[in-house]
This record gives sequence, structure tokens and C-alpha cells, in this order.
Amino acid sequence: MGVLVDRFEEHEGPVRGIAIHPTRALLVSGGDDYKIKVWDIRPQNRRCLFTLHGHLDYVRTVQFHHEMPWILSCSDDQTIRIWNSTSRQCIAVLTGHSHYVMSAQFHPKEDLIVSASMDQTVRVWDISGLRKGSPNQGGPGSSGPNGSSNFETFDTFSTVKHVLEGHDRGVNWATFHPTLPLIISAGDDRVIKIWRMSETRAWEVDSCRGHFHNVLTALFHPKHELIVSCGEDKTIRVWDLAKRSAIQTFRREQDRFWILACHPNLNLFAAGHDSGLIVFKLERERPAFSVFQDTLYYVRDKFVRSYDFNTGADIGLLSVRKFGSPYVPPRTLSFNPAERAVILTISSDNGLYELSNLPQQAQGELKDSSVDGKKGNGQSAIFVARNRFAVLNKTTQLIEVPITIANKNFSQHSLIHETIRIKSGAWDDAGVFIYSTLNHVKYCLSQGDHGVICTLDNPVYLTRIKGKTAHCLDRSGRPRTITFDPTEYRFKLALLKNNYEEMLYIIKTSTLLGQSIIAYLQQKGFPEIALHFVQDTNTRFELAIECGNLDVAMETAKTINRPECWERLAQQALKQGNHKARPTQAISGRKLTQDKLTKMQKIADARGDPMSRFHNALYAGDVEARISVLRDVGLHPLAYLTAKTNGLDDVANEILEAAGLTEEDIADVPTFAASSLKPPPVVTPTTDLLWPSLSTGESFFDRALANGQLEGGVEPSYVNGDATAGHSALDAWAKEEEHEDIDPEEGGWELDADGGEFQSAVEGEETEAEAEEELGAGATPGPSETDLWVRNSPAAVDHVAAGSFETAMQLLNRQFGVVNFEPLKPLFLSIYRSSHVYLSPYASLPPLKLHVRRNPGETAPSRVLPVSVRSLQSIRAELTEGYRLVSGNKLPEARDVFRSVLQALLLVVLSSDDEAKLWRETVTSAREYLLGVLMEIERRRVVEQEPENVARNLELAAYFTQCQLQPPHLQIALRSAIGAFAKANNQAHAARFARRLLELKPDPKIAAQAKQRIAAGDRNPRNAVEISYDEFSPFEICAVTFTPIYKGSPSVHDPYTDAAYLPQFKGALDPLTQLTEIGASASGLPASW
Amino acid sequence: MSSDLYHIKQQFTLGRLGAYKALVKEALPDENSPDYHAALLYKARSFIALNEPVSALELIPEGSENVALKAVASLARYVAASGSEQAEAALEELRDLSVEIEGDDIEGDDKDKALVRVLAGTAFARAGEVEEALETLGTETEDLEAVAVIVQIYLSINRSDLAKKQFDRSKRWAEDDLLLQLIESTIGLATGKDNYANTASFYTEQLGNPSLTSPHLLTARGVTRILRGEIQEAKSDLEESLEQQKGDAEAEAAYVVAAGLGALKKSEAEELWTKLAAEHPSHPYVQDVLQKADLFTQSAAAFSVPPPASVSA
Repeated sequence: MGVLVDRFEEHEGPVRGIAIHPTRALLVSGGDDYKIKVWDIRPQNRRCLFTLHGHLDYVRTVQFHHEMPWILSCSDDQTIRIWNSTSRQCIAVLTGHSHYVMSAQFHPKEDLIVSASMDQTVRVWDISGLRKGSPNQGGPGSSGPNGSSNFETFDTFSTVKHVLEGHDRGVNWATFHPTLPLIISAGDDRVIKIWRMSETRAWEVDSCRGHFHNVLTALFHPKHELIVSCGEDKTIRVWDLAKRSAIQTFRREQDRFWILACHPNLNLFAAGHDSGLIVFKLERERPAFSVFQDTLYYVRDKFVRSYDFNTGADIGLLSVRKFGSPYVPPRTLSFNPAERAVILTISSDNGLYELSNLPQQAQGELKDSSVDGKKGNGQSAIFVARNRFAVLNKTTQLIEVPITIANKNFSQHSLIHETIRIKSGAWDDAGVFIYSTLNHVKYCLSQGDHGVICTLDNPVYLTRIKGKTAHCLDRSGRPRTITFDPTEYRFKLALLKNNYEEMLYIIKTSTLLGQSIIAYLQQKGFPEIALHFVQDTNTRFELAIECGNLDVAMETAKTINRPECWERLAQQALKQGNHKARPTQAISGRKLTQDKLTKMQKIADARGDPMSRFHNALYAGDVEARISVLRDVGLHPLAYLTAKTNGLDDVANEILEAAGLTEEDIADVPTFAASSLKPPPVVTPTTDLLWPSLSTGESFFDRALANGQLEGGVEPSYVNGDATAGHSALDAWAKEEEHEDIDPEEGGWELDADGGEFQSAVEGEETEAEAEEELGAGATPGPSETDLWVRNSPAAVDHVAAGSFETAMQLLNRQFGVVNFEPLKPLFLSIYRSSHVYLSPYASLPPLKLHVRRNPGETAPSRVLPVSVRSLQSIRAELTEGYRLVSGNKLPEARDVFRSVLQALLLVVLSSDDEAKLWRETVTSAREYLLGVLMEIERRRVVEQEPENVARNLELAAYFTQCQLQPPHLQIALRSAIGAFAKANNQAHAARFARRLLELKPDPKIAAQAKQRIAAGDRNPRNAVEISYDEFSPFEICAVTFTPIYKGSPSVHDPYTDAAYLPQFKGALDPLTQLTEIGASASGLPASW
Repeated sequence: MSSDLYHIKQQFTLGRLGAYKALVKEALPDENSPDYHAALLYKARSFIALNEPVSALELIPEGSENVALKAVASLARYVAASGSEQAEAALEELRDLSVEIEGDDIEGDDKDKALVRVLAGTAFARAGEVEEALETLGTETEDLEAVAVIVQIYLSINRSDLAKKQFDRSKRWAEDDLLLQLIESTIGLATGKDNYANTASFYTEQLGNPSLTSPHLLTARGVTRILRGEIQEAKSDLEESLEQQKGDAEAEAAYVVAAGLGALKKSEAEELWTKLAAEHPSHPYVQDVLQKADLFTQSAAAFSVPPPASVSA
């Protein structure tokens, strides 16, 4: 994505020409306001440095000189001017053109200028005179700002060298070849002309014809013998400079191209068109390569070469010049060590492959593959056995040699999402996957952790990773090695594999410091390791508490010495059962050393907890302290007695005095023998034994690090690689790729559509220039909060809150098979309504729509979620309301409540597995009650409308007792069934129900009735009415027919409530909830937490 | 600035309905007072904010050539406009004024010119012409009122990043001003930074200000509390606000939200909503929800409902 870096607004009217200084942070621009402005583009002091006035009409192009402080400009005023950017004055005016001057450019090396004009000529100017005459003194520049008054003086400094005539219309562009004495020009006569010049003359060499409208720009390819041009016919064309033939055309539907530019060192071009700009490259840069043992076989400049990783020997082996299109590099290479043969494929000519043997030794003249190569059509080819290879041929769908994939399982281990394209990858010896993107080398561990190893100026294609060295091929296909610091991923890998020795080694030898690694370790659950990296006392304390390292915690707590610290330390100690660090309570039978006691006293004092202090004093046998505690809390009698019984009469009297009493007043107090209370004797000296405790983090590291050289506060010396690199890598690690730099190679052109014989010489990609990122009028709307909600959640309820009803419905349909949404409408709307609130902070403006979040503390766009409008708790409360209605025999109302509960449960926010379980229970309960209530309603209808249908009445009553109801409601169901069955003289059944009723331990009164009923059943164990009810074989009840579906019989289920139905109802609307389609497939509740 | 005028400005800034009402009732200072002009402008703008543009128009002296007064009048006409033609005409006037202030021969000082931009920007924003509004206000502006409008426009198009940037930039030149705090708190409302702490404390602070009472501040704090998930507290703020200012659409709308989030029973929430929809059919909240109701029907139609399962089937 292209990102707008800055925006300079000062020109009045359009800006036609701009140029960036080749070495300094300067920008020059020229516009229709006749002005040329020079800008400092460094973000910290971005501003217009100065303005050059002098042109009398539109300025067309501007350019900095590559070494002199000169600015070149040309204008519709028919002049070309050269300005000194130091003195900010015009130092030369080149006159001669008799119409608008459309472009003017310095020669990249020599003192020449080439210009193109509407007067149909291209002119070459010699400005060597300008360099000799010092422009600041004696030169025309000294004549002051009104320099335009003396053209003659200027002209002595520069003269027309050649006038190139040949275009039949105005010329828009002319430029020098970077190294050869060539010029190309592009004109309104739709022709690109190539000119050659010598010291004395210049002549037309040839023309490139093909554009069918004005050609605006033509450039030499900086590396290849190609010309790239663009024009108003909406095309970009690529031409072979030697053959003058068109190679490739890229056409845009709507927009005319106006300007082209090539990147000074990358293989990138930019083209500006009517509605933006595109960035593209002309060819695939990834070289074809294959690694065998310590040798890399690769293709560069259409030669197969080998590169020895150990020796660095790089030799050419085979020429593949005649293989496929001359402009296209081979796409893949596969090496067969048995035969010492390579098979190459190329994408030109609809895909070709070629098999050739490599010579054993490098020879003087490299043989060309066309001599003995075997060829054929195919997109990709690879050796699969010693003497077999497979070719993929998409057009015929024929694979010449059958391929069996004898690979290990292809299960996906981890997925890393990169916002930019991954260029290449290779496995490190330790099984870490190292890959490269446009500007980074990164690693990926098998559990999905990934991070940056180093940054790159240019993309590389990794071939092999060995230790600290990455072997790779660069963009021009040359082998390179990059040395990097693998510490970080090695450390993570060691952590992953619990390889403590390795970790220790790394800790001892590298500078793995910084917040990022601490955060990482803490996050991954290794606070005890993180502890060793931290010096900050507070952080150390936190970490020590977290990993249970009480020694460190104690030590840091001493330093911090704040009540909450002691409090937390105490709690943690208690958790671990480590009495040594624990304060007073509940310690008994232990002798505590004096310093520990003091410490605890301090803790207790700090906590202001008298009970604690008292215990402390008690265990320590410190009578005075005990008395003082008792006095402090106002328990004077106890204090007195304590003093008295311990023989501290003075103190006792003091207490009495303080209380305003004398010995006489307490004469009725019984006397107690002297206290025998003393510190309990030590039975087992367990001072240093600990209770069975939680892991206190006495891990490998504690020991190793305590014994080793690495002390907490000592900065470890750096061993592994370059220190700054390590730090920067860690910083990058911490940032986790907050954003990627511009990647001009995103997206892709499908260029295969035209340009028959030359399929993909132009492999390019485009980026539309992003509009406005800086403050400005054209600010484009950002993603709204509701978009984020939709993006962040798979739960339908969140989509509803976001107002994305369509996706919400799709989710409900997929997850629960919901098809009938109408009943959910009020729910949808009330959720949406409650998730947004409006406020107008400023007069007369429309109010702002604000979004209510579930987690107000969360502002990261990837984690914000809408408020949870209804909680599971509130729905369960509603369910209870339904229960109450059942008890109160308000069945139709209860039915509505249960339906509403089932609807609400579809749109509730869940946040844990426990909640999900509770949710499922709630759904099931609501379903059972709803089914039971519906059956009971039906039974009452039968009783009323079909009184003769006793069997049905009894069946329904019996089924009702089979619903999973809560005991009180089951009692109701059973009692109702008992009544109905007894009335119908089905005594045996009635007795069965009565027995079940008894099991529920009902009221004594009801129990008595039930017992009578059982007795009646025992007397007369018969059933008058035959019904379809077998309580001894388990069954579900079809919620449509209210008939049993015995276990093993076919049935279909509701995708949401899991209610059972007879198979014939598959596809019908569920009668319970009236929302879902019976038997529809559904994925169930998404676990979004 | 005299203290009277300062008070007027403060009321206007934090105002909205309550304080505006107080403001429009307040008598203008003497015509010859240096505050007269500014006070007149605030009063007229208060009328517009109260959606009583006609009163605003009556207030403005006929034939005034002052650009700010002319702009206020145009904004009033825009707000009062019943048809798109009238509205467009008012917008045209504002466009002309925005161009006019670039020239020299106009009546009004720099403050007036800045106000013209603010008023024009307000009207353009109301008309949905975001780009034009931003263009008119000028993101390089050093007028805090303009910044307030710009920030709100950015927030309305979900560009809190730009709003933040604009605000940070204004901190460089702006004094610590009530309006500056208001802008910051508004950004806080949209981004939810630090659990809306800044916004909440701003409104709480202003509510503690004895020199002004405004149910709008209560509404604003209620809304903030809704966003913080403090529904019961929000409910009490909003109820207090509604007590002071019956029928205020904004407070009522926020009350509906609080009710829906559990402050009231389901049926009561539903009732409140029906009432709001009936009384303020043009409020954006009501409009939005009604639109969603249509969307629901439309989206639901994409699913075909099978026949209900029945015994006879």
C-alpha cells in the first residue's frame, strides 16, 4: 500500500514538474504560477526554503543537477533556465526554442542539457561554460535578481550544440541514455525517436511506432536494453532498444498516462495517470534455484551457475539463452544429482521446460542448453526420481509421469499472517523457518511465534540458513550472505523446547534485555526467567510474586517497603505455605528467629492488624508486646491480667492507674496462677523445612543463574554478534510489525492477456496512490467502529449490535439453522438500539454517533467489541419467570416466555467455556419446558374438544412427565398424570407415577395421597385404556406429533435446540422456537473468547 | 474580554439547550459596549443551536454589513430552510462569504472572519459536504472554534487519528481553554482512551462549576457513563437532566440506550423508545434505527421460510 508521506501546498494552480534531490532532502517543484519552489522535505522542518521567480509562463519540468547546486527548469515562455540554489538566482537562460519547452534534462554525467519543445525540435545544449565561470562572482548571477535583463550575457555560458529535427508534431519529452551517446524523444506525432550523437553532430537512428495517441514520456531502462514509454492512448509500452520492436503493452481502461519515472536503484517504475499512479516492475526477480548439499544451483542472466556455500566459488555451468523468450528469466530449476542434470522451466511461450546435463567441470566456453536439451511444454517441472521427472501442464491437464506424494502429513502447523508478500523462505538447522519479505528477514517457530531478524534495504531470496549466516540471492541474482543475530529465535525455540541449557547459555552470552523480552516471557508464562532480566525494583517484585520467588520478593519488598507490597508478599507466601516469608497468622509450634520476627512485626505494624501483632507477640513469647497490643486496642482487663499473671506487677499497676482504678476495685477478680504460657518448645526443628509447597520457582534458572556469573544488576557482556543489531531486533520484536513500510510490489497485473509472443516480460504490480493521510480537506472516512465489531467477532449478536443484520442473519443461519427471522426483529432492533448513543458536543453540528463497547478499557481496533446488551444471567432470570408461570398454571404465558428465552439465547454474549456450558443447559431447559407446556396445552385441548379420545389425553399426560423438568414442576406433571390416569381407571400406570412422585419427596400431604394411589394400584394392577407409553425404554418426544421416538428409531433434530422430530419433518419450520429449519446442518456456537 | 463576555462564552461552549436558553434570555449589553457585538453573535448562535433560527434572524440588525453577522444570518436561514432550494441558497451565501473574507474591503475583524469560516463549515458539515467543510475551515487554522468543528467532522468520518493530530497541533498555539478541554473530551468519547477517564472527569468537573448549570452537561456525563458501562449512574444523570429539561431529544435518546442496557425493564425500554420515535422522528438516532428496521425486513427476505411442521404434514 502506498502511503502519503507529506503534502506541500503553496503553489497556486497545478504543479507540473517536480524532482527530488539525488542526495539531499530537497524537493523542487514548478507550477502554473510561474514559480519554482524548493522545499526541505525532512519531516521535522518541512517547509518551502525559497521561491525562484523569473519564468513568464507555466513551468513544465524542473531538475536538480547531480553534483552542482543547479536547478534546471523549462517553461512555456520558450526558455530554459538554470538557477543556482545557493545564491538562489538565475544563472543562465537558454533561448532558442520557438514554442513551449516541454522538457529539459541534464546529462547524467556530462555538461549537456537536452530539451524538447512544441516547436517540433529536440535541442542539446552545451553548458560547460557555466561550470568554468564561477556563477557567484563575475558571472551573470551577480547582476542581481533582475537578471532577465541581460540574456546576452547568459548565452555566452551555454550554446545550442545540436538541433534534432524529425518529429512531425510537438515533442513532449527527451532524455539521455545513462551511458551511451543516445537520446530518445517522444512526441505528439505518436512516435518515439532514437537519436545518436557524436562530438560534432547528432542524427536520427530509428523510430518506435505503436502508440496511437500522443506519447508523453519515454525512458531508458536503467539496466536492460529496453525503452519504457507511456502516452495518452492509455498504454505503457516496453520496447527493445536494439530491435526497436514493441515487446509488451500494458493498457489501462480509463486513464491516460502522463508521466513515467524509474527508481534510481530498484527495479521499479512509477507511472502517473488521470486518476492516480501505479508502481510496477518489469520482470520477475526471484531467481530459479535449487540447493543440493552444499551447492546452490541457480540461474543468473540466463546462465545456470553453481555456488558453493563453503568456499564461495561461483561458476557458470550452462547457457540457457536460447531457452524461451530472451526477455524472460527461467522460472524454476530442479537439480538431479544422480544424473547431474537440471530441468528448467520458463513462463514464456505458454510455459516450456528443458532438460539438460551439466558438464562435470566448468569449461572455457559454456555449452548452450539448446544443443542437447530435451524440451516440451509445461508450466512447472521437477525431478521426482533418479531418472524421472514430472511436468505440470495446465493446458492439457496431463502429467507425464505420475506423481505420488510421499510426503509427511501436510497438516497445517501454524499460520502467520503477513500484510506484505513473502519473498522466500528456508529452514534453519534447528527447524526454524526463516523467511524474507520486501524489507525484513523474519523467523517463524513451529508454534506460530514469529518476529523480525533484521531489516533489508532490498529484497533477497533466501536459499539456505546456517547458524548466523543466511545465504541468499539478491535481486540481480547474485549470491550473497547475510550475517544476522539468531539469538532471539534461538532463545524462543529453546524456551519452546524447554531446552534450559541452551537458554542459560544464551542468557549468559547475549544481550537479551529490554522490556520486550520481559513482556514476552511473562506472557508466555515464564516470569521466573524474566526475573533475571529485570533491575527495576517494582517490576522485580511483581515478577517475583508472579513466579513465587519469595526470596527475591522479600528482598525487593524490603526496598520498596510499602504496606501493599507486604500484603501481597504475605498472601503469596501463604499460598505457597512458606512460613518463612509469611507473616504471623496461624504459625504455631515453630521457633522463629529474631530477625524474622522483627520483619514480621514490621509487616504487622504496617498492616495495622492488631490480631496479627498479637499472634506475633504470643508466638514470640514477648509478653510486653502482647500487653501493649492489648492496651492499644483497649482491652485493658486482658492487658492487666496478662501483666499480672506474668509477674509484671509494675505494668499491671500502670494499667490500673490508666484505667483510674486501684487494686481494691478489682478485688472480686479471681486470682490466676502465674502464667505458664511460654513459647512452645521446639519438637522438630523445622525452621528450614517448608511445608509441601507450590513450586517456588527454584528452577533450573535460579540455580544456574545464582551460581553463574549472571547477577541481576550486571550488564552481561555481549558475545553474540553485533549489539545494536540485537537491540534493534528486539525492539522490532516488541513492536511486532506495527506497520509495514510501503510495499510497491503488492497486487498484481494480469498482463498475459495481450502481447502474444511475449507473455510476461512485464511482471509488475501496481499501487494506487493512497489519498490523503495527512490532515487535509480530502480526508477519507476511516473504518467505522461497527465495521471493526463485525470484523472482530464471529458471534451473531455482535453483528446485530453493529447493525450488520445481513451477516448476523447469515451467521445465525449457519450456526443454528435459523431461517425465520421475523420473530427476532424486536430483539435485533433493541440490541442495535442499545449499542449506540448520540451526543452533540458542539453547537449546531449534527450529533456524533458513539458506540457502546463491551470492554471500555479496550481501545485496540482489533479487539473492540459491542456492549453485551443482554447477559446470560438476565435471560436465566427470565427463564425463572417462566418457571413461575408454569407453577402458576399460566401455560400460554409460560409458552411465550420460553420462546422469548430461546430467542434471546441466540443473541447473547458468552465469554468462557463455562458460560457456553451454562448456555447449553439453559437452552435445553427452555426447550424441555416449552415442549412440556405445549403438550399440556394440547392435552387440555383434547380433554375439552375430544373428550372421547382418552388414550391421547393419557399419552400426553404421560409424556409430559418425561420432560426434564425441575422437581417442583415434575411433581405438578406427575400429579396431573396421576389424576388423569386414575380417572381413566389406569390404576397400574397411576401407581407408577405415584412411585415416581414419592421419589421426589413431596409434601407429606401429597405423599400420603401418592401412597394411597400406590396401594390402589397394587390392589388393582390393571389399565383400562391401552396407550402408547413405555416408560422403561428411553425415548424422545417428537415436538410436532407429541409421540415418542424410541431409542434407535430414526429421527431428525433441531439445529439449535436439538429437539427431536420424526424424520418426515426434515426441512420444515421448527414448531418450538418457530425460528429454525428442522434437520438443517449447523456449525453450532462459535467460541469467540 | 470582560468577565460578562467570558461568562457568555463559557455558557455557549458548554451550553447546548439549557445554557442556551439561559443565554438567549439574558439581555444584551449596551449597544455601545465593546462586548455588544460578540454577545450579539453568541446570542444569535444560541438561538440557532436551540433550533430557533427565526429568533436568531430577528435579533440580527437589518442591513448589517458585518461579515460575521451576515454569516450567522445565512446559517440561520440554512437551518430554517424548508426546501432544498432555500438551503442551497443559504449555502451559496456562506460560500460567497468565505470567498469575500479573503479580500480586504470587508467589514469585520479577524475574529469575525474566523467565525465566518466556522459557521460556513458548520453549515457544510450539516449538509454532509465534508470535504468542503474541511476546506473552508482550513486544517492549518489557528482558531479553536474551527478546530472544534474540524475535530467533530473527523470523528464523524471515523478518523479519530486525524482528529487527534489536529488537536495535538492546536495545543501548540492554543491557550488552555475550556473549548480545548471540550475538544479533548470529545475525542476521548470517540476513542474510548483510558476507559473514557478524561471525558468523564471533564464533565464531572464542569458539573461542579457553580457558575453554570446545564442539563446538557448531565446528558453528556450520562452518555459517558453509558460508554463506561456504568448504567445505573448514567440512568440517574439522565433522569436528572430530563427533570431539568423535559423533552430534550438527546437526553431522551441516551435514556433509551441506558434503559435498553438494563437500567429499566424491557417493556419500559420499549415504551420509551416508542415515545422518542414519536416525538423526535427526525433525530438521527431514530432515523438510524428506523432505517435498520427496513434493513432487517430486507435482509430477512433473503431466507425462505419453510412451512411449519404440523401433524397433518
